[in-house]
Amino acid sequence: MQVWTKLFAKSPFKPLIKHAEVVVQTVETLEKALDLWAQGNYEEMRKYAIEVDRLEDVADRIKMELRNSVTSKLLMPVQRTDILEYLHMQDKVADAAEDTAKWLLVKKEIKVSQEVKDLILKMGRESIKAAKLVYEAIRQMDTVVESGFSDAEIEKEYEIIKQIEEVENKIDGLDTKLMELVLNNNLSWADGLYVLNIARTLSNISDKAKDAAERIRIMMNK
Amino acid sequence: MIADPWVFFTIILGLAMAWAIGANDAANSMSTAVGAGAITPKQAVLIAGVLEFTGAYFFGKSVTETIRKGIIDPSKINDPNVLIYGSIAALLGATIWLIIATKYGLPVSTTHSIIGGIVGYGIVYAGASIVNWSKMAKVVMSWILSPIVGAIFAFLVFKALSKTVLQSGDPIKSAKRWSPFWIGLAFVVIGTMFYLKVLHGKSLIVGFVKFGIPAGIVAFIIVSLILRVRFPNVDPYLGAEAIFRKVQVITSGYVALAHGANDVANAIGPVAAVYTIATMGMAGAKVPVPRWILALGGLGIAIGVATYGYRVMETVGKKITELTNTRGFTIDFSAATVVLIASWLGMPISTTHTVVGAVIGVGLARGIKAINKDIVKDIVISWFVTVPTAGVISAIIFKALMLIVG
Repeated sequence: MQVWTKLFAKSPFKPLIKHAEVVVQTVETLEKALDLWAQGNYEEMRKYAIEVDRLEDVADRIKMELRNSVTSKLLMPVQRTDILEYLHMQDKVADAAEDTAKWLLVKKEIKVSQEVKDLILKMGRESIKAAKLVYEAIRQMDTVVESGFSDAEIEKEYEIIKQIEEVENKIDGLDTKLMELVLNNNLSWADGLYVLNIARTLSNISDKAKDAAERIRIMMNK
Repeated sequence: MIADPWVFFTIILGLAMAWAIGANDAANSMSTAVGAGAITPKQAVLIAGVLEFTGAYFFGKSVTETIRKGIIDPSKINDPNVLIYGSIAALLGATIWLIIATKYGLPVSTTHSIIGGIVGYGIVYAGASIVNWSKMAKVVMSWILSPIVGAIFAFLVFKALSKTVLQSGDPIKSAKRWSPFWIGLAFVVIGTMFYLKVLHGKSLIVGFVKFGIPAGIVAFIIVSLILRVRFPNVDPYLGAEAIFRKVQVITSGYVALAHGANDVANAIGPVAAVYTIATMGMAGAKVPVPRWILALGGLGIAIGVATYGYRVMETVGKKITELTNTRGFTIDFSAATVVLIASWLGMPISTTHTVVGAVIGVGLARGIKAINKDIVKDIVISWFVTVPTAGVISAIIFKALMLIVG
């Protein structure tokens, strides 16, 4: 009797976690590209930046599939719209990583101080932290559902969301610092624009991570 | 007497009906255990096949009512031949409907199918007055009542189970403390049900005192001891699940046994009627059934499980990932309890319907992650068409038989 397979639709959480995994991979690959960029190894960096693009495509495909399967005919422990909104935000994290990769690919030579490079690398590391925390948050959300919305598990989830917000704050600070550096260091117009755009896309990663975390918070509210 | 072509023909049909029962219903008993990964589909088929046969052969009612639960008035049928054709028509109507429903993966009640078949030929033969309409009203009520009560009960059980086991500050500790209690409670129900459904005892109190309470206490002690010695000390939720995993195999096994003991009557009731007429030349409301007919019924169900149930359970085992052991346990426990209370109150209730209701109840308690609403709708519709469809098919066949032979 096939009814049991039809009756229980596949949980949306497993694919959400899978999507988050790809997002983390995307951002991790971007970090490697950034490292190589800072070392001036353009050829190696290219490979990684292109890989970021490919991974973003994979995330996109998972997103589409999930969107098609999470329809209104399902009865779920969390709101369907919250899941779709969350997915949208989580996907934006990968999108932001792809934006950075694009910027890395368009310019070969750049003359910036080590200080600027270090700041960019730091931002890269923080954005990875944000993406990894999002992955942790969605996995914890699965546990929250598993436990029948236990208070203890909800508490743990809030803790992760708080950490994401902290990371986002930190990156905002770095962003301002970089702006100061760029504008007061007599960089060429082109180099300045270039560096600032990389910074903008990097801080976007944590921004979107925060938005995703915000959605998880809404999911938990009964 | 088997030489009598009518008897022979009816036995073949009874076997087909038993096969359809096995195919449609047997997956019910094992599906939660397979879905939760407690056993493999292969093991499920083996366990279900053996237990269904055991239930049917050893515990099937050896005296069965030919007119299922007095749904039509047998005194209005004067010609014994009518009973023969009618039984054949009812069996065919029910079997055909069951096969259609199974094909579309709809869990329908086999009891309702055979009731539909009997009502169908009854009305064609003697008009609507032959039907005991107050009994029919009770059957219709069970379509509505069973899933609702099942859902409410499962909702409450899951809430309570998650409050006591899953949601505490220290899930491992509370799982250790509360699991024996819940499992003991489930065994009280199973023990009592065993007396009523498998041994066909009459008094609920006797079953409760003699079977329910001892089974509950034994289960409580065994589970407590096992948990004291070793508790799967991993993830607290996995730990809690591991406890219920073992229990689920037993509860599922019980459901299979009780199903065999009870539902074999749906297939062999009409066979017994024809057999009695052929051997004694008269129609009695209650007839003793030779054991070999019971064995055939059990065999039919077991073959149904093995041929159709296997495929189904395999897909279940591979595809349902979101049914955990505590949730599966909740569904089994709730369905069994609701059926027990209902039979005590004299309410007609269908196990199949209650199980589906319980699944929805656990879902509503924010337990199961996603339930397909469309399928729920299809299932509910299938319940409402079961009696009419089986009835119409049976009526047509009966009419045809009367024209050809009568």
